[in-house]
Order: sequence, then C-alpha cells, then structure tokens
Amino acid sequence: MLNVLWETEGLQAVGIVVLVCASLKLLHLLGLINFSEDSVEDELELSAVRHRPEGLEQLEALTRFNRKELQILYRGFKNECPSGVVNEDTFKVIYSQFFPQGDASMYAHFLFNAFDTDKDGSVSFEDFVMGLSILLRGSVQEKLNWAFNLYDINKDGYITKEEMLDIMKAIYDMMGKCTYPLLKDDTPRQHVEIFFQKMDKNKDGVVTIDEFIDCCQNDENIMRSMQLFENVI
Amino acid sequence: MAAGVAAWLPFARAAAIGWMPVASAPMPTPPPDNRRKQDGLILLNVSGQKFQTWRNTLERYPDTLLGSTEREFFFHEETNEYFFDRDPDIFRHILNFYRTGKLHYPRQECISAYDEELAFFGIIPEIIGDCCYEEYKDRRRENQERIQDDEDSENQNDMVPPDMTFRETMWRAFENPHTSTMALVFYYVTGFFIAVSVMANVVETVPCGTLQNRVKQVSCGERYALAFFCLDTACVMIFTVEYLLRLMAAPSRWNFIKSVMSVIDVVAIMPYYIGLVMTDNEDVSGAFVTLRVFRVFRIFKFSRHSAGLRILGYTLKSCASELGFLLFSLTMAIIIFATVMFYAEKGSSASKFTSIPAAFWYTIVTMTTLGYGDMVPKTIVGKIVGSVCSLSGVLVIALPVPVIVSNFSRIYHQSQRADKRRAQKKTKLGRIAARKSGGTSAYLQYKSNGLLSDLIDEASKAAGQALVCKANPMFDTHHNHLLHCLEKTTNHEFVDEQTFETSLLEVSMAKHPPHSPSLSSGSSSQGLSCCSRRNKRKSFNVPNSNMTGGHRNSIQELSTIHIRERPITNSRSSLNAKFEETVPLNCKQPYITAAVITLPTPPVTTPENDGSASSPDYSQANIVRVSAL
Repeated sequence: MLNVLWETEGLQAVGIVVLVCASLKLLHLLGLINFSEDSVEDELELSAVRHRPEGLEQLEALTRFNRKELQILYRGFKNECPSGVVNEDTFKVIYSQFFPQGDASMYAHFLFNAFDTDKDGSVSFEDFVMGLSILLRGSVQEKLNWAFNLYDINKDGYITKEEMLDIMKAIYDMMGKCTYPLLKDDTPRQHVEIFFQKMDKNKDGVVTIDEFIDCCQNDENIMRSMQLFENVI
Repeated sequence: MAAGVAAWLPFARAAAIGWMPVASAPMPTPPPDNRRKQDGLILLNVSGQKFQTWRNTLERYPDTLLGSTEREFFFHEETNEYFFDRDPDIFRHILNFYRTGKLHYPRQECISAYDEELAFFGIIPEIIGDCCYEEYKDRRRENQERIQDDEDSENQNDMVPPDMTFRETMWRAFENPHTSTMALVFYYVTGFFIAVSVMANVVETVPCGTLQNRVKQVSCGERYALAFFCLDTACVMIFTVEYLLRLMAAPSRWNFIKSVMSVIDVVAIMPYYIGLVMTDNEDVSGAFVTLRVFRVFRIFKFSRHSAGLRILGYTLKSCASELGFLLFSLTMAIIIFATVMFYAEKGSSASKFTSIPAAFWYTIVTMTTLGYGDMVPKTIVGKIVGSVCSLSGVLVIALPVPVIVSNFSRIYHQSQRADKRRAQKKTKLGRIAARKSGGTSAYLQYKSNGLLSDLIDEASKAAGQALVCKANPMFDTHHNHLLHCLEKTTNHEFVDEQTFETSLLEVSMAKHPPHSPSLSSGSSSQGLSCCSRRNKRKSFNVPNSNMTGGHRNSIQELSTIHIRERPITNSRSSLNAKFEETVPLNCKQPYITAAVITLPTPPVTTPENDGSASSPDYSQANIVRVSAL
C-alpha cells in the first residue's frame, strides 16, 4: 500500500517539477525574466564605417593618375562600396563575379592581402588606387615587385614552394571543373615545379626578389605581358 | 553581372598582372580600346523634367533603348538633348535602374502604366529586385484576373450567337437565370421546392400529439405519412427532372457528372429511389434510415441560388492549408493535454478519466472553452493542467482564424468588385457612346454640307472646318478625304443607318431566293443584330463612325472586293465548285442579293487551303458570310 501511495506521490512530484521548469522556461522565452545578464539585444552590426579618402590633390601626388581618372575610379569604387572601404568578404564577392565558373575566393583572398598594404583588414580607396597605380602606370620593376609581393604570402621576402603551390591552386580553382584538357590533381604542383626550375637559380628551394626580377627581365614573354594592361583606364 | 561590378572590371584586368610571371603560355593581345571618347554627361528631357547622367551609366545595358543606338532617334538637335514624351515619374525608376542595377516597382503607380513604360524602354520586368518583385507580381496577377473577369463576363453577357443550338440555349439558361424569363421561372420554382423539401424533412420529426391507442408521442411524419410521402415524391420528381435536363444540356457530360453540384443533386435524390426499391427487410431498414440523413444535403442545392454560399465554399477550399494546420495543431495539443490529464488524475478516486481517449473529450471541451462540466479534474495538478489547457486552447484556435477570415474577405470583396465593375462598365460605355454618337456621323454631315465636289474642295475645306469645328480639324479633314477616296475607289457611297435599314427591308421583301428561305425570313432582324454586333467586335480596326453609316454599302464593297479577288483563289480546288455558281450572279447584281447567295459556300474550308498570307482574303470572306446572315 505504501508503494501505491509513493507511486502517486512520486508521479505528482515529478509532474510539479516538470511544470515549474516548463513555466520558467516559458517566462524566459516571453522575455519576462532574465537568467543571465548577457541579454543584450543583438549587437547591431558596426554600421557604416565611414571612411573618407584623402583629397584629390594628395592622391594625384601619390599616384600616377590624373584628376579625371581618379574621379572615374572613385565613382565606380563608391558605387559598389558606399561606406568607403571594402572588407574581405565584399572583395571576394565582387571578384568572384568575374569568374563565374570557378571559385575565385582563394585568389581574391591573396589579392586582398596584396592590396591591403597597411594590413587593417579593409581596403580603402587609397590602397585601391595606389595598387592600381602600380599595376597600370608603374615601371616594370614596380610591377614585378608587386607580383612578388602577391606570391609571398607571409611577406618574409622568400617565395617557398608551399606558398607558390597555394597561389597556383588558387589560380587553377578559378578555372573551375569544366576545362579542356581535364585538370588533374597534380597540375598545380607540376606548374610550380616548372616555375621553380625557371626562377630558382641557386636551387635553394626558395625564390628571392632578386632571382625573381632577374629571371622575369630575361623572359621575353613575361616582359611583353607586363605591358598588356597599360590602357585599361 | 550587376552594373556596379562592371565598374570594377578595370581593376580585375589590372590584377591579372599577378598571373603573368607564372603564365605557361604567352598572353593574347588585348582588344582594341576604342571607347577613348570621354565619359560625358547626357541630358534626358522627359516631358519637361530633365535628367542627367553619365553616358557610361546608360551604356551598361546595351540591350535597352537608352543603352543602345535606339536613343538617337529621340535626339533633339535644337536643344542638344534627348527628348522623351513619357511619364517622368516612372522614368525616375527606370533611370535608377541604370544607376544602381536594381529595378524597383513603386507601389502607388498603376501596374499597366508601369508595364507600358518598361516595354517602351526595352526593360524586361523580370529583373525587378527581390524587394519589390512580390508586390509587382501580385498586382500583375490581380490585373490579369480583372481583365480575365471582364472578358469572361463580356463573352457571357454580350455574345448572343444566333446559331446556338437548343441544347446550348438550355445550358445557358441553367447557368445564368437572368437571360430569359423561362430560366428565371425555373430557377425560382426549383428554389421553392428545395425549401419545401427541406422544411418537410424538418417538420417530419416534430412530435405531433398522440394517437388514440398509444401513450407515446408520434412524430408528424408517422401521423401524416401519406402526405409527407406525396410531398417528397413531388419534390424528388422535380429534382430528378432538373437533374436530367441539366445532364442533357451540359456541354461536357463527363465534367458535369464530376462536378460538386451534380454530386449533391444525386445524393439528394438517391435515398428516395433506394427507399422505393428496398423491401421492408428488418436488417436493411436500419441502413435505410441512415440514408434518409442524406436528404438534408438538399439544402446544399441552395448554393446555386446564393452567391454567398458559393463564396463560403470557395473560401474553405482555398484555405484548406490553414484549416489543415488548425486541425493538426489542435490534434497535437489534445493528445498532449489528454495524456497529462490522465496521468495527473490517475491518483484521484472515482476519477472519470478512465483512459487517455476518455480524456480527449475533456480536452476538446476545455480547449474550445465549452466546459460542459461532465468531467472535471479533482487533483491540484489536474486543475493546473486544466487551466493551462483552456488558455492554450483559446490561443491555438484564435491563430488560424484571422487567416481564414482575411481569405474570405478578399474573395468576397473580389466578387463584389466584379459585380460593381460590371455595373459601372455598362453605365460608362453608355455615357461614352452618347458622347461619341455626336461625332459618328461627322463624315456624313460633312458630305451633306455638299462639300465633296473636287472643284470646291480647297475653298470648302476652310468652310468645312468652320462648320465642323472640332478640337482636331486637320485630322478630321484628312480622315474625311480618306473616306471620300474609298468611296470613289469602290464606286459606292456611305449612308447612315436609317437609309440602310429601309433598303434592307425593301430588298428582303422584294426578293425571296427560293433555296434559302431561312436567310430571308430572318435576314432583316439578324442582319441588324449582326451589324450591331460587328460594331462591338474589337478585332475590327474600322472606326465605328464608318460602320454605322455605311453598312449596306460596305457589305457590297466587300462583296465586290471579294469578287475581284476570286480569280486569285480560283486555283484552290475546294473553291472551284462554289465559284461557278456564285460568279455569274455576283457580276450581274452587285447588291444585297449577291451577298445573300454567296453564302451556302462556307468558307470554313478555306483555312485549310489558305496560308497565312491569304488570311485577309478569307477574313473578308468571313465578313461577307457574317453580314449577309
């Protein structure tokens, strides 16, 4: 008989406990009580990091573009990024739109790092325009310098095989799957080998800036292609 | 690609320098850059409101009007701008599309005006941004429905094709009782009998006092069994006749049988026949009694008579998903609460909650706030659960109800709007016709002023303009001259309607072609009806003013044209036979008789022989056929 009594009592106790917990949860859900103190509202995203670029005259002095070209560039830049800076995600999105078949995000990441010279995580208009100035109006030396900077991921002055492999994979990723002939898995690696054979003069496994510039200046194809995009703006 | 991203193409190209040192093959030469011209401002003047933008902005979308060379057609040299005679408010949105790459739909604009502007500027509406796309699609759908409604109602009400078979007339009478008096009478009679039948079913069960030998009350049905049986028989006979008539008249019998109303009709009259057929077998009579329940479905026959009922049914059908959700959530809640109640009340003595299904009844009664009180919880836990149950019941039921209500309201207002529109349209057309009739006989008036002779044309043009002074005298003058040219071409004249009618009557009485009596007997009235109908046909491009005046002659004109073109179609084999018998008659008497006689030759076969190129040819043949009938 005691068992029966305990059973019913036990059931009742369980029921009461469950009910109390459920009601507490419901009240918490309804926002009437707060358990922890971090019930701050969702943090609004850091809205509009406003950034205003340097004046037109300074930029004219810093870069090799004239006023009109800077105006055109700024209008395009501001249209896409009204806040005045590009962060990495937006950059990736923009760049990926030019390469719809493949995945351009890795290369865009490297490109972003190459443009973001002050390493603050965002590319402002000055960074953008200075990078473009080198690419479009710079001397061959400067362009090669820029390319070396792009390949040197950790910016230590040496391009290692792993860094080059990352870059190469990123470039091949942009091609996507549908290529002719079919991309094999070790195509990037082979390409890196070819590159290192050409560039690495002292065969020490890394390419320094001087080796790189020397080798490129001796290669006709590369020199010609450096002039290719002179009149883009 | 978004427009703004196109501005980053130079950057992407510049960044390609990063690939150069690792390239395995030489690069291709870049395309010649011939957009060396400066990026200038373009001035767009839209009905006086000036918009300016960069040339490059517009050229982002070269397959639209503004982005292609098509805009050069609108260049205005004197002011050195592009002038568009369109709506500036809507143009604002179109220009914003070029600027931002996103097309928005302004809510306050009329959807057809907006569509027209988009079509003019060569922009497809599918690129409307997600923010406005839903609204746009909704409005468009509403507009389409409205147009569809108008077309349907027009087809129903205005079209009285004279060659409807008896079956089609009957079907039409059934569907729209307002078309003829007979249909109206039939409609009310059936309505009356439905009501009588339903009332009889109800009154049948009322207790009617006691019989002599019994103590128990008997129902009226048992007391006056014969009377009720006769009444039932009469009603069922009417319903059966109605059903059979509808079945006979239906254009598609299979569809009719499948439709809801026909099923209701069948279900309503079946019990009677089954009752007749069945014997007084003890076992079966129980089932028979159940069948009599179906007699109550006769009340659904009222839905043919009441638009409100139909709307209700339609609403329930369209809210099926909400109703389903309501049902599902209720079931879930019932099961949960019944289970909890059962276990809560298990301990208490003499509890009515003997099982979970037994607790279902309590839960339902509590959730719908009925509260009969036949089952009440006794334990404290049970009472707590019971209160939670009733609170949540109110919530669960109240949630889907507004959705259903709003659906009903929308459908109801839609149907009201359709009716209102139809009524408004009639008055609107009437008013427009009244205003137009002032100007229909402009040409005839012009003629009657004796101003048609070529000699005095120049002098009279000025006088004519003074007499017929409208807002657009130049247009009218040229128009009148055009009609005059047509008269001279065909050597016939336009006349007004009265003259035409009188001549028609004369002709039909004077000449009775023996082999087509039906034509002549009905020719006058039908001719007039077809003429008036022809006016309303939208496919005609001939202006109304022409046709009212020139019916008689235009038919002859067309028949003469028809004649002239006959030699071309002579080569078609199927027409050869008809040719011989018609040609001589046509040539001799170029008046109404010709039109009358050409008709046994149904040009229906022509579509098979004629290619699309000759469609104007046989459409004229069609015209002849229609008009002469």
